[in-house]
Amino acid sequence: MVLLAAAYIVTYAVSLLSAAAIFATVFVRSRRASAGLGAGRLLELTREEARRSISGDPVFLMHASIALGVGVSIAEVVLAPVLPALFALRILLLAVSVPATAGLAVAFAWRVQRFVQSKSVERSLHTTGAFSSASTRMQGILMVAIALTASELVVAWLPAFALVDAAVSIVRNSLVVAYYVGPTVNLISRVGTRLPSVETPFVLSDIMSGKVDASTVRSGVGDYPDFSPKESLSFDSCVEIGACEASCPATAAGRPLSPRVLMRKLSLHSDAGGEGGPFAVVGEDELWSCTSCGACVSSCPVGVKHLDIVYDLRRDLVARGKLDKEKAGMLENLARSQNPYGFKQSDRAKWAEGLGVQTASESSRAEYVYWVGCVASFDQRAQRVARSMAKIMKSAGVSFAILGQDEACVGDPARRLGEEGRYQELVYQNVEKLNSLGAKKVVTTCPHCFNSLKNEYPRFGGEYEVVHHTQLISDLVRSGRLKVPPDRVREVSVTLHDACYASRYNNIFDEPREALGSSVSDVREMKRNGEKTFCCGAGGSNYWFKVPEQRTISGIRAKEAAETGAKAVATECPFCLSMLEDSSKVMGTGMEVRDVAEIVADAVP
Amino acid sequence: MRIAVCVKHAIDETELKTGPGGRPVLEGAACKVSVFDKNAVEEALRMRSAQGGEVVAFTIGSEDARKSLKEALAMGADRGVLVVGAQASLDTGRTARTIAAAVKKEGAFDVVLCSEGSSDTYSGQVPPMLAEALGTAYVGYARKIQLEGGKAKVERLLEDSVEEVEAPMPVVVSVVSEINEPRYPTLIQIMQASKKPVQEIPESQLAVDPGSSPVAVLGMSVQTSSRKRVIIEGGPEDAAAKLIQELEKEGVLR
Amino acid sequence: MSEQVWAYSGSGEVQCELMSAALELAEKSGRSAVAVELGRQREEVVAQSRLVVKGAGDDPLPEVAAEALTRAARSRHPSTILVGATRNGREVASRVAARLGWPCLSEASKLSIDGAQLQANRTVFAGKVVATVSCGLPAVVTIKPAFYPKSTASGKEVDEFDAGELTGVVKLLSRRKKEAGAVDLRKAKAIVSAGRGVKRKEDLPMLQSLAEELGGALGCSRPLSSDLGWLPEECHIGLTGVTVKPDLYVAVGISGQLQHIAGMKDSKVVVAVNTDKDAPIFQASDYGIVADLYQVVPAIKKALESRR
Ligand SMILES: Cc1cc2nc3c(=O)[nH]c(=O)nc-3n(C[C@H](O)[C@H](O)[C@H](O)COP(=O)(O)OP(=O)(O)OC[C@H]3O[C@@H](n4cnc5c(N)ncnc54)[C@H](O)[C@@H]3O)c2cc1C
Ligand code: SF4
Ligand code: SF4
Repeated sequence: MVLLAAAYIVTYAVSLLSAAAIFATVFVRSRRASAGLGAGRLLELTREEARRSISGDPVFLMHASIALGVGVSIAEVVLAPVLPALFALRILLLAVSVPATAGLAVAFAWRVQRFVQSKSVERSLHTTGAFSSASTRMQGILMVAIALTASELVVAWLPAFALVDAAVSIVRNSLVVAYYVGPTVNLISRVGTRLPSVETPFVLSDIMSGKVDASTVRSGVGDYPDFSPKESLSFDSCVEIGACEASCPATAAGRPLSPRVLMRKLSLHSDAGGEGGPFAVVGEDELWSCTSCGACVSSCPVGVKHLDIVYDLRRDLVARGKLDKEKAGMLENLARSQNPYGFKQSDRAKWAEGLGVQTASESSRAEYVYWVGCVASFDQRAQRVARSMAKIMKSAGVSFAILGQDEACVGDPARRLGEEGRYQELVYQNVEKLNSLGAKKVVTTCPHCFNSLKNEYPRFGGEYEVVHHTQLISDLVRSGRLKVPPDRVREVSVTLHDACYASRYNNIFDEPREALGSSVSDVREMKRNGEKTFCCGAGGSNYWFKVPEQRTISGIRAKEAAETGAKAVATECPFCLSMLEDSSKVMGTGMEVRDVAEIVADAVP
Repeated sequence: MRIAVCVKHAIDETELKTGPGGRPVLEGAACKVSVFDKNAVEEALRMRSAQGGEVVAFTIGSEDARKSLKEALAMGADRGVLVVGAQASLDTGRTARTIAAAVKKEGAFDVVLCSEGSSDTYSGQVPPMLAEALGTAYVGYARKIQLEGGKAKVERLLEDSVEEVEAPMPVVVSVVSEINEPRYPTLIQIMQASKKPVQEIPESQLAVDPGSSPVAVLGMSVQTSSRKRVIIEGGPEDAAAKLIQELEKEGVLR
Repeated sequence: MSEQVWAYSGSGEVQCELMSAALELAEKSGRSAVAVELGRQREEVVAQSRLVVKGAGDDPLPEVAAEALTRAARSRHPSTILVGATRNGREVASRVAARLGWPCLSEASKLSIDGAQLQANRTVFAGKVVATVSCGLPAVVTIKPAFYPKSTASGKEVDEFDAGELTGVVKLLSRRKKEAGAVDLRKAKAIVSAGRGVKRKEDLPMLQSLAEELGGALGCSRPLSSDLGWLPEECHIGLTGVTVKPDLYVAVGISGQLQHIAGMKDSKVVVAVNTDKDAPIFQASDYGIVADLYQVVPAIKKALESRR
């Protein structure tokens, strides 16, 4: 009896220590990674976690349940001596632990399914045996941690097993300290810097002005020490949860990329000495496969930022001249013609001929600069989007002007491909033009242009109020400036393909739906929509080159669209339009593919 | 290994403007590095990374020709030599003798690389003439080059055959575009290239033989290139016959 | 100075074309046209008068051919040496010009003699511009293959010249026919390009034979190679495929999306066959036929055959 009591006291003490160790290590390592532990930050993190778990995202449900489960079980252990006396607290803990246990059960099931799929992904990627066993081990630990936490929550209600409970808690807490503190720190450090932020490796104006010597500039990562501490923390934080892999369009298309495998390869290889640098374990097509859709970054529960790493490795490939004809050709076109096609800039405003659209230099007092973008300027199909948008703005009495041949590519294709210098050169050129015209508001029909102008241009001196065309249209409809007569509302079912760069990157969800709703009778949702949308396959500069794949990303998406039973797909991005129209033809879905602006313009008299 | 590579600062045909009388405006026309020359530069860089040594890029032209040298330097060449003088337009012999004089002035080279032809005139004569002027061996239209023991083993790509030949070094080799994929220099690399040394040699210093009879350009006229957009009417047979007539006039049928 | 115009090409076919050019030039200037043959007389060469240069062996490397021609010219003093602008021909011409110290006109099409000046046309700047160039005589000229028709004027006059022993520093290790199948569209003079208007893979030979009839190769729009896999990847023309600049581009059943146009916009003459009169390809074409390709393509082929 005495022995038992002594054992209990020791176990209890160790378990308290192990719980304390979790908090201590998180605290210390956060300080070291200068990932401020401010209350505001933690609150924002908690709010975001709660929002996404409530939305029923299994990853976040799992994540929240684990956090909650660990929290409750620690509380139970800590409070064990006094708990029997405090009835209300017991009830409270019970109330929390029941959903947490349920959540853990769901998480466990999801996890097992991910495990099976991860092995099949590894087979198709031909990963090494050593990698696969390391991955199995890591995933095993995760499943054990989930199982331990769940069983602990259950056992806690059987007073007879208090010793067991405390022991389980020690094991679980040790696992947490050993494996999950880094990821937690990473998560905290990433608050507010996930999508859409992109690391800026150098600033061109500093080099131009001589503040920085060009010969010292390194863009890209060719060896492990070149990774920033944040980037290393990022890939080292991957605990194989597999949410990224589950949402990655490249993996789904059978391309040679899984964001999980990529992160883990870097982590394991660098831990083992990293001989030969990252490219000893990462393939070129692996990196080119990424569409920068951001699904991985957005879905990772521990805040891994895959995209920074993809961009940095791509930059190294570009610097080493590892580009095929398509990629090099596109960059050369940008350098020579300021558009990725290589067409004459003087033809840039041809789409507007006969429409009476003014250029900004002719009418400097227009309220909006309409930023057309390269695709809608040159692609004959997408030009219809530009013409539709012009019609809408005219009909609503919005004063606007275009830049015509003074509009250069926004730079996005160069930046995503890894040619940061060319990107910034285009940015400075555009900023100079926009600023010289005194532009205040910019509207654009391209989410990639939107994202760059809104989130990236300020860093280079270009601050404007930027709106996506679906935002402007819904605004015009709401305010009554744009009138769709009821008899012109089309009786048709339409499903909206959320563009990654509008929805996931920039939280534009409701406006395109409102805009559509003004002009068609039936708007349907695909299974994956909003921030969980599935890429069309064009992002990350992928529009401009080919990557080996087993099926097309756009084909997968076209099928999803067809499954809604809708007659048409609405897009809000000229790249998406081109990709989905092409794949609707190839897949024979028979669906019409049109931009939101085209659909609304049709309904406007 | 010392490798020389010749790059031409050629008129960019895509930017060519038409002046009065249908003549092309050559004065101040936009120029760029002749596209196939990048394959030669790329091959030089690959040789350097396999064998070590130095890559020197040569060009002839005005100050503007520095741009093309800079492109070679941005790709990775170590230094450049600019022969300051007029492009000898269509007098290939004179061009070859000028480059030869500049190359000789820079000392002995193991390999001199050129491309199969320039993007503006595509005569394909400067490389063999250069070898003649330098008194070295020459191999044209290489799609693969192996350097070994003072010899160059080269696979030549001809119209309907492939030849493997061996030439002693020093050697002038012209490469076809199939030989490699030239690298794209990043903007940062281009900026870094401005720091690399470029030596200027006035053409007058080279005392180039003008030749017995120079090649003169008497006139140039721009072919109207915008599409005609003629729709040929009629049934299949009629339309086909009319089409053939038109194509015959265009001179594009064999 | 002798009054002879010499013609030399390692290719018998081109040699016959050169004889047309040589005869034309010789007639205009009261000279005579001579086919120069290295090593032996070739059966496929049709000429009234020949000079067989001994000592070079059959099919010599250009270096040796050049020396043989140089020695012959030093002894016989022709006024002009025409050389076919094939890959080897360009080297031979360049070396002969350099060794003799003569000027050299290249890629010439229309030749004429004006007193002691030789004049020729040639294209420059990717075919956008025709330049008229001239130089004094004697001179070497490379002639663009396939510009002059093959000469049929035959005769029996044969002269010989012994060039003595000829060796070069370049050694031939092996020579083989080019791999079949590997068409290089970038170099094709004519391209027939198939689009999704073609209904079945089995219909492609119809277009292939049209391409052959035109002396060119078969290309396609992206869907045919990348999506349908009917043709190899290197056949697809456009943004994500190869960029081509043939003299003649025949787009058959291609709608003319920009991604495709980007790869062929610099072609010299573009022909389009499409059932849709509003297809954008017609904006990018010189000649358009609005009709079913299954009727038009055979008709074009027939018209071409009857032209021969
Ligand atoms: C990122 C991206 C890159 C791309 N890159 C390329 C590229 O490099 N190259 C490329 O070609 N495409 C490319 N595409 C595809 C391009 O957008 C078009 O889809 C494609 O060029 C269309 O091919 P097509 O003209 O053969 O087919 P379609 O557009 O389907 O046109 C078929 C045409 O055939 C006509 N037709 C039908 N039947 C007949 C008949 N019996 N007789 C005559 N005419 C008939 C029709 O009127 C129609 O105009 C790319 C697309 C994307 C999204
Ligand atoms: S950004 Fe998209 S495509 Fe790229 S790795 Fe992440 S999920 Fe995959
Ligand atoms: S092209 Fe369209 S769906 Fe795709 S990355 Fe951009 S926004 Fe994504």
